[in-house]
Order: sequence, then C-alpha cells, then structure tokens
Amino acid sequence: MQLMRSAHKLPHPVYMLVLVDIFAFSLLFFRETPYDISPLIVGLSLIASILMVYFLIRGFKLGDEYIFLIVSMLFSIGAVMLYRLDSELGIKQAKWLGIGLVAFFAGYFIFGWFKVWDRLLFFYMAASMGLFAVTMGFGREIKGSNNWIVFQGFSIQTSEIAKILFLFFLASYYSQREKLFARFSKVRVTAAFMLVAYLLMGLLVLQKEWGTPLVLFLVYFAVIYIFEKDVRILLVNALAAVTAGTAGVLFVHHIRVRVDAWINPWADIAQKGYQIAQSLFAIGAGGFFGTGIGLGRPELIPEVRTDFIFSAICEEMGIFGGVAVILLFLLLVYRGFKIALRCGEVFEKTLALGITLMFAFQTFVIIGGVIKLLLLTGITLPFISYGGSSLVTNFAALGVLQRISAKQATAERSTAYEDR
Amino acid sequence: MFEIISSLLKYVFITIIYIFIFGIMRLIYLDIRSMSAKNFPKAVSLPYLKLVSLKDHFNFKVEESYLLTEDTTIGRSRGNSIHIEDPFLSGRHAILTKKGGSFYIQDVGSTNGTELNGTRLGTEPVLLKDGDRIHAGQLDFLYVSGERQGEGNAADEKRP
Repeated sequence: MQLMRSAHKLPHPVYMLVLVDIFAFSLLFFRETPYDISPLIVGLSLIASILMVYFLIRGFKLGDEYIFLIVSMLFSIGAVMLYRLDSELGIKQAKWLGIGLVAFFAGYFIFGWFKVWDRLLFFYMAASMGLFAVTMGFGREIKGSNNWIVFQGFSIQTSEIAKILFLFFLASYYSQREKLFARFSKVRVTAAFMLVAYLLMGLLVLQKEWGTPLVLFLVYFAVIYIFEKDVRILLVNALAAVTAGTAGVLFVHHIRVRVDAWINPWADIAQKGYQIAQSLFAIGAGGFFGTGIGLGRPELIPEVRTDFIFSAICEEMGIFGGVAVILLFLLLVYRGFKIALRCGEVFEKTLALGITLMFAFQTFVIIGGVIKLLLLTGITLPFISYGGSSLVTNFAALGVLQRISAKQATAERSTAYEDR
Repeated sequence: MFEIISSLLKYVFITIIYIFIFGIMRLIYLDIRSMSAKNFPKAVSLPYLKLVSLKDHFNFKVEESYLLTEDTTIGRSRGNSIHIEDPFLSGRHAILTKKGGSFYIQDVGSTNGTELNGTRLGTEPVLLKDGDRIHAGQLDFLYVSGERQGEGNAADEKRP
C-alpha cells in the first residue's frame, strides 16, 4: 500500500528516460580531458527527438503510448554503450535514430493509407525472391554473410528487409487462406504455403545467413501453432526443423564450429571459443552493478557493437542492467501481444503477432547466444545494437505495430460513443 | 575524478532504469484495471460477490468477482463452489442459499466467523441486501444484487 501511494507521486516514466540520457551523456562528456561537447550534442538530440515523437504520439492519440517509450529506453541504453565504445559510432547511431524515426512514421502512415496489404500475398513472395536475386547478383560478402548490397557508400543488409516481407507474407496468407481453401483443397494449400515459407527461409540460408532464418522459423512455428488446429502440421514442421538442424550440424562446417564452441568454449579458447569466452568474462567482470560506464574493458569482446552489445551492457551496468534490458523487452512483447489479442482482423492480428514475436525471438536468440544458453548466431539485438538496416527496419515494424494499436483505439472510442 | 563519478552514477542509473520500468508497469496496470472496471457491470445482471480487498495483497488465487446462480458454499477445501485457499477460512466456511430471487447467508460453524456489515453471523440464514459487505477470513466481499448496477460502481471507487 505504501509503495502504491508513493508511486502516485513518481514522475512520469518519460522523465526517467530523459534523466538517464542527461546523466549518461554528461558522464561521457567528462570522460576525456580536452572536453568535447559532442556527447552533449548527441544526448540532447536524442532527448529532443524521443520527446518530440512521444508527445506527438500522445497528443494526436496515435495508439499505444508505451511501446515507443520502452523502445526509447532500450535505444538510449544502447546508444550510451555505443558512444562509450567509440564516439564515432555513437554519433552515427544518433543519426540512424533520426532515419529510424522517419521510418517509424513512414511505417505508421504508409501502412494506414493503403488498404491492400492483406491481398498482396504473391507480391510478398515475388519481392522476397527478387530481393534474393538482387542480393546474389550485386551483393557483397561482409563478415561471412553474403547479404549486403552496397549502394553509393551505403551498405544495406537485405535480410532485414526479407524479414519484414516474411511477416507480411505470413499475415497475408492467414487472412486469405479461406479464399484459397474455396478454390483448392485444404491439404494442397497448406502444403504449398509451407513449401513457400521454407523456400523463403532457405533463400536466406543460401546467403550464408543463419540467425535470421532461425528467428523467422521460430516466428513461423509460433504462428502456425496459433492458427493451425491440426497437430500433424505442427509435427511435420517440428520434424523438418529437427532434420534441417541435424543436417546443418553434421554437414556444415561453419555450424559445427559454432556447436563446438558452444559445448566447450574453453577447449579452443584462442580460436573457436574466443568470442564466447570473452563475452562470458565480460559478463562475469560486471558483477551485480557493473564496473560503471567507461571503467570496464568491453572493447576486448569481438563484435561488441552488434552481436555482443548485451555482454558490454552486463559488464558496465551489471547484471541488474542486463536484467533491466530483458525486462524492457518483456514489457514490449507483452504490449505487442495485447495489441494482437485485441485485433479484430486476421491480417492485422497475425502481423502484430509476427512483429512482436520477431522482437521476442530475436532478443531471446541473441541474448541466449552471448550468455552461452543457446548456440551463438550473429543477429542484432533489436534497437540496441549498432546497425542502420536493422534499426531502420525495426523502427518501421514498430510503426506498423503502432498503427494497428491506433486503429483499435479509434474503433473503441467510436463504439463507446455509440453506447452513449 | 571520472572513475569516482562513474562508479557512483552506476547505482543512480540502475535505480532510474528500474523506476522507469516500475512506472511503465504501473501505467499498464492502471490501464488494464480501468478497462476491466468499465466492461464488467454492463454484461452482468445476475447477483454476484465482488472482491473489495486489494487482490495483490494475497498470495493465493482469488477472483475479482463470483457470480451467484444457485446455492453456493464458501470455504478452503476443494468441494466448495467458491474455493479460496485463504488460511483464515475454514474448510467449509459459509453458505449462500437461494430463495426466490434473493440470497440468504449463514455461517456454518467456521473457526474465525463470518461478518455481515461488521456484525458476526450466526448459523441462522440472513437475507442479503444489495451493497452488503461480507467479511470472511482475510477477504472482504460486496454483495451486488445485479438489479441496480450503479451500486457496484460506487463501491468500486470507495476502494482503498
């Protein structure tokens, strides 16, 4: 009771967010002795853009006001960490936030303006394949994955776009399948759908990308678990996954190395187990409250700016900081599920579910990977890791989720009005 | 100097981040509560028992409301129609009997007793009126007859 009463006097969470940014970026300002004002500029622009978008969402009643707040907190933690790792990177990440927020509103408005999204099933399939062809034709291999297009100095990771297309594909199939069932037999439609889904995931595997297809498979499996009533369909898919996984471990050298490093990173600590061992050292060095920002050595972890950023957070903000990140994702996913549950239309329901599950599984897979709970696969931690493509597509997906929640809110307001 | 500030600020950061998380959770909680309070009375025209005590104080499962359709027993053991594992309830604590459209309440020799509007009940049945407060174990219920729904809402706002 006392707790609840004092909670009424707590300022709104958005001010907490501003406070974290002010403290963190002022701290970074004092870090190097010829004082440079760039951390302050980055911090202020971060606060300004977050506040602007948040008050736009609240002022114009653009739906759920929590998801953006939660994402902003995650982004702030990530941006502070990235700035601390490399100030150039922090500045770039702040610029990406600007583009990400444009993508957020683009996702919001474009998704709202056009009403044809559920009928574009074949377009999503064709676009995914076209994207694959373009990537194979003009792509460049960066960090072992052939899924980058370099265009006038910008490198775009096409698998991020393929991810969103896949979610639209799933949603559009489940909203259109009644029509397809009327024309073809149920078994044939389901089989064709499964084949296409595996084909789209397989195309990503051909680009030597493992993390994204894994996340997409988990999303796909969760969605068919929700929509398909027949247990046999689930069994077939589970069997396919187990077969593909076993084959991967047995025949793909790259995966076998990962498995070896996962089972015992200490056996070959200088080579195969180096990444995971450094990550575990970093998490261990942090303890409960961490070393403090700027006082740890997270730069020793390979790939710390993207895949291993969670270890860096654990090292400098402690296990409490890491748990806070997980809690924030949990709240985000909870809100996403709530939006999906309240949806009336199948298309929007599946899409909201898909986007939420994508955030959830991506977080689970990468955090599980860096703490050696799961096999390590190189994917980004949504909204935290450095990376333009990932940030922009995630913000666009968040914009779509925001739009779906806004539509519900308007629908509910109008029914409440009719009741009166 | 930077070391000292940073190692002090880390506690501040963690605290603020958790206050943020707590604040978000609280807003979501209030949001859900206001929604369920809005929807409930409209749908129900049957008499029901509404929990008045704050649910989060209990470490056992208890519903926000119990619909009364027929004779109902309240108690800790599984055979009761309203079965709540409150250690202060007796195995069989009280019975609500339906006669005509109204309900009568009686205690069935419970250890800690049952109170109706602050007076302890005996084993003879007492007629329940809309807005009566029933106290059993650690729980406080409000009897809502279902015909006048305004009462239920007013009691909702009286909540501590």
